[in-house]
Amino acid sequence: MGRAVARLAPRVDFALVGHPETWRAAADVFSVLRGPEHTPLPDDEIKDILPWIPPRTVCRVDVQSIAGAKARGVYIDSFIPPDRLDASCVRENLTRVRAAAASAINAGARIVSLGGFSSILIEGNFDALPIGQNTVFTTGNTLTVAFIVQGIERMSALQGRNLRTSTLLVVGATGDVGSGCIRCLAPKVRRVQLHARNAERLRRLAAELEAEGVDVEVATDLSQFSRPADVVICAASLPSSSLLLDRIAPDALVCDAGYPKNLSADAETSRATVFFGGLGQITGGIAFEPDLHGILNRHPFPNVAHGCLLEGIALSLEGRFEPFSRGRGGLTPDHVAEIESIAARHGIYLAPFFNGDGPVTFTMK
Amino acid sequence: MESTIELKPQTECTLPAAPIWQDVLAQAVTGELVAAMNYSALAAICDDPGEIDEALEHAAIERRHAAVFLAAGRRMGVEVIANVDGKHWKKIRESFQRRVEERDYIGCLIIQEIMLESFALASYNRVAKVAPEYLADVFGAIAADEQEHADHAMAILKAERDANAPLFDDKLHELHLDVMTTLAKMLAKECKDGHCEVCQSSCVKPDLIEVNLSAALLRGASLQQYLRTLDTLGLPGEVTLTWVAQLPV
Repeated sequence: MGRAVARLAPRVDFALVGHPETWRAAADVFSVLRGPEHTPLPDDEIKDILPWIPPRTVCRVDVQSIAGAKARGVYIDSFIPPDRLDASCVRENLTRVRAAAASAINAGARIVSLGGFSSILIEGNFDALPIGQNTVFTTGNTLTVAFIVQGIERMSALQGRNLRTSTLLVVGATGDVGSGCIRCLAPKVRRVQLHARNAERLRRLAAELEAEGVDVEVATDLSQFSRPADVVICAASLPSSSLLLDRIAPDALVCDAGYPKNLSADAETSRATVFFGGLGQITGGIAFEPDLHGILNRHPFPNVAHGCLLEGIALSLEGRFEPFSRGRGGLTPDHVAEIESIAARHGIYLAPFFNGDGPVTFTMK
Repeated sequence: MESTIELKPQTECTLPAAPIWQDVLAQAVTGELVAAMNYSALAAICDDPGEIDEALEHAAIERRHAAVFLAAGRRMGVEVIANVDGKHWKKIRESFQRRVEERDYIGCLIIQEIMLESFALASYNRVAKVAPEYLADVFGAIAADEQEHADHAMAILKAERDANAPLFDDKLHELHLDVMTTLAKMLAKECKDGHCEVCQSSCVKPDLIEVNLSAALLRGASLQQYLRTLDTLGLPGEVTLTWVAQLPV
């Protein structure tokens, strides 16, 4: 970067690496970038142009803590097309994540949160990322787990649901987020049901839990479980919203924590309470330049973001530039409690409950 | 710097998609001739004898590229007709000429080496992937030649930006609005302003799919190359993203 610009370039504490969850979200970002004097691009043009854009900073982000700390960062979009998250595009998408990481390093970010599929693609292999002498990476999964667990506990309390008598099903149980949620919640429920595609990983996780006295059932097919679950966490790495939950309790509590969301629109959850989990809210203040408020974070409540992205912000506000979450399935309740308290110290709390239809209203069970 | 492209013996053959390649070649020949004219004009405003020689050498290389493309057309059995006065190309030449009149050496390099070269490099490389073998070789070899030009110019432009980034970026943005707007219209999926005056009959864009190309693909690859070039120069990614997002489609 040129000397003159380098002198003016603002400090960058954190970088948030994300990708558009939907084409609509991508179109809205483009609409803001084009400005009011240009007509919005038609959807087909967005779909033609976006896949060609090299990963880059989309906006600058300023956050403020309730404790008075401030941090500056950038949001870097890897521009992984929303319909190209599947396995056939892994190599192409990994290249994009690496380029996004390089962009974060070039920007001078001291900590980089790998949001959504970015960390799933890396699979905890930070060595696959470019090396920046002063830059560390975190998957952000620990804070995601913290907010999922908080959400389950708070919603259960609001509904008068007794977790101690509940059967907890975790879809995507062997992943970093899924296994972290199980380790936090297993001691608090009656039994757990673990679902994932890899039977061997399921067996190993079940053995770990059984050694601690947890009542465990495993299956690679959701229809194989012996009883319907009444609390469900969807944390599978699905490239699209395609999960069907056909054998859960009619009044189940379902937390969809996917990025992109797991649950299919056809999922039979009409009497269940479904909420989007793993999300937090910044109460100290956040500003985007250009102003992408409500565009990058398309939620019915203000200043809400995914826990994976908020972890990098919380650690920046705390001045702890370290690879807090490494994405190797090793999240422990102690880790979760630690990031939870760091986030809370800076006013980053569990987001209000909502789902695809808007804010969630709950009924007593 | 010498062109590595050699004219090959001409053995005529005809392909079913020959009319499509004829139009693709017409755009390529026109682009090369415009580049040759640009370099010749650039030589006139250079003070340094070395720069003059270099600009004239580049002009000669671009003319040779045009000749190689024309020969490729003949081998295919089609006559390739260039038109440097075609609507979009004429506008681009005029933009370049304005910079020449202002004796703006860096502005000229920005237009030719960043904007037109991004378009040429990306398009040639894409065409090389799908064209019949000998045509693919021609496009691939010329793309490699163009890459060499671009690398050389980048060193000059990088030094210029390092000296005064805000001034350089302002100039680049002004030229982007002028030249890239024209190129974006040329690369749009449909020619909304009427015939480009280079295609031999009707617009070739809808037919490109028959040779595994499309206007959208060529535009996407060109914009990607352009953004990467600007990244290499050190321009902020969020700024260049906004520039590209605001281009016409």
